[in-house]
Amino acid sequence: MKPPRGAVTVWDPLVRLLHWGLAASVIGAFLLGDWLHRPDHAWHERLGYAALAIVALRAAWGVVGPRHARFTGFVRGPRATWAYLRQLLRHTEPRYLGHNPLGGWMVVALLLNTLLAGASGWLGTTDAYWGEPWVQDLHAWSGQAFLPLVALHLAGVVFTSLRHRESLVRAMLTGRKPAPAPGDVE
Amino acid sequence: MSRARQLPWVRAAMAAVSLLAAAAVQAHGLATCDAGPEEKWQPKEKLERQLTDKGWKIRRVKVDGGCYEVYAVTAKGDKIEAYFHPLTLQQVAAKTE
Repeated sequence: MKPPRGAVTVWDPLVRLLHWGLAASVIGAFLLGDWLHRPDHAWHERLGYAALAIVALRAAWGVVGPRHARFTGFVRGPRATWAYLRQLLRHTEPRYLGHNPLGGWMVVALLLNTLLAGASGWLGTTDAYWGEPWVQDLHAWSGQAFLPLVALHLAGVVFTSLRHRESLVRAMLTGRKPAPAPGDVE
Repeated sequence: MSRARQLPWVRAAMAAVSLLAAAAVQAHGLATCDAGPEEKWQPKEKLERQLTDKGWKIRRVKVDGGCYEVYAVTAKGDKIEAYFHPLTLQQVAAKTE
């Protein structure tokens, strides 16, 4: 996969590694989850802890990492997000080099839901909270919530890729995107 | 990305979704019990008494796969998830954490 001419690096190696690592551990933990009731939960739990560790690293990187990795670089307020959504519906939204405002909130939602699922899963294995209904229900619900969240995430990636004629999947693999054009948000 | 190039992608996604749906339909717990209508079951309270007498500390009892599903801590201190047949109150499956 050769990056297009005039490409710039947007996603640093750690962002990419954590992204695919989180995708793999969440999908793996989901598939080995209780709904299939595997007799052995060891790998479900290992993958859950891996996902928690990745969320912690990503959160830290979101504070000290480079520009496009930082939360302050892509988490926008409700007004800016709403304005972007309206532009999007009118087909006038600018191309963002990093995450667009909706994509930014998608990142936050996925990280928070992973935290919720991971923390409640761990809590349910402790002596104090074993069998605790609200802990079990929280774990089940946050686990199921990955289905719509991931579907929305993939839809956003496909939609934005088509709209701005660039592959965001390739960008997350190579880290590189076409250089910004006039009117783009860097 | 052209429409033609999207198609295999869409097809793969649809295959994955139907696979997941099929797996979800098959989903079951540690056991299933063919125990008929719930009115004829032994009461949950009787099972709880039986287990408490064994020294279990019961955390949650619910119905799964037509069985009583119990989360408890055994007298030895093991965290256990156990299934009981609603007619006989015999343990049919269990797993300890």
